[in-house]
Amino acid sequence: MAQRKLIDARGAFCPGPLMELIATLKLIEIGDEIEVLSTDKGTAADVPEWVAKVGHEMVETVDHGDHWSVVVRKAK
Amino acid sequence: MLSKPLYILVCSENHEKIQMAAMAASVAAVSERPVSVFISMGAIYTFKAGLSDDERYRGGDFSSILREKGAPDALKLLEMGKQLGEMSIYACSMALDILGWDETDLEGDLFDGAMGLTKYLSDAEAGQIITF
Repeated sequence: MAQRKLIDARGAFCPGPLMELIATLKLIEIGDEIEVLSTDKGTAADVPEWVAKVGHEMVETVDHGDHWSVVVRKAK
Repeated sequence: MLSKPLYILVCSENHEKIQMAAMAASVAAVSERPVSVFISMGAIYTFKAGLSDDERYRGGDFSSILREKGAPDALKLLEMGKQLGEMSIYACSMALDILGWDETDLEGDLFDGAMGLTKYLSDAEAGQIITF
């Protein structure tokens, strides 16, 4: 069964949240998901761009007002 | 499929430029784009082994804000880029000669060796080069 890991990167600046996401993606299984919490305004746009480029899957991006939640599924 | 390689030539010792170079290098490397970084001129001082952050990062107002707010450390970003992507970092052999340094004077395991500008530019014909 797929697992979901949480990365709380609130307070970290670009490209910190993206780098944390990528480092964690290396450690999980295909099909597992990572949810990144970020206050960095670029994360909501940068992560989907990176995911599209390298071939993983975006699950959702949610604006919580004071932070974003970005969920990515490992596809390869 | 890998993208066209990115060659990043860093000459300035200005913290803001070093920071942007490290951000560009690390993000490109983790985006499956091969990156080669060449450190020369005053930029080499930033990579001297054993410096405190105050000694290492010299810049303007934005440098102070970067450090106050805890922006990712430039050298750590480069280290992450090397760990997570395809990135090589070379010290300019001329800069080392001028200062009387060798690779043991440089920070940690960041560097893949020393290289001359002619070889670097020859390699860079295969990709895109940007300078800081």
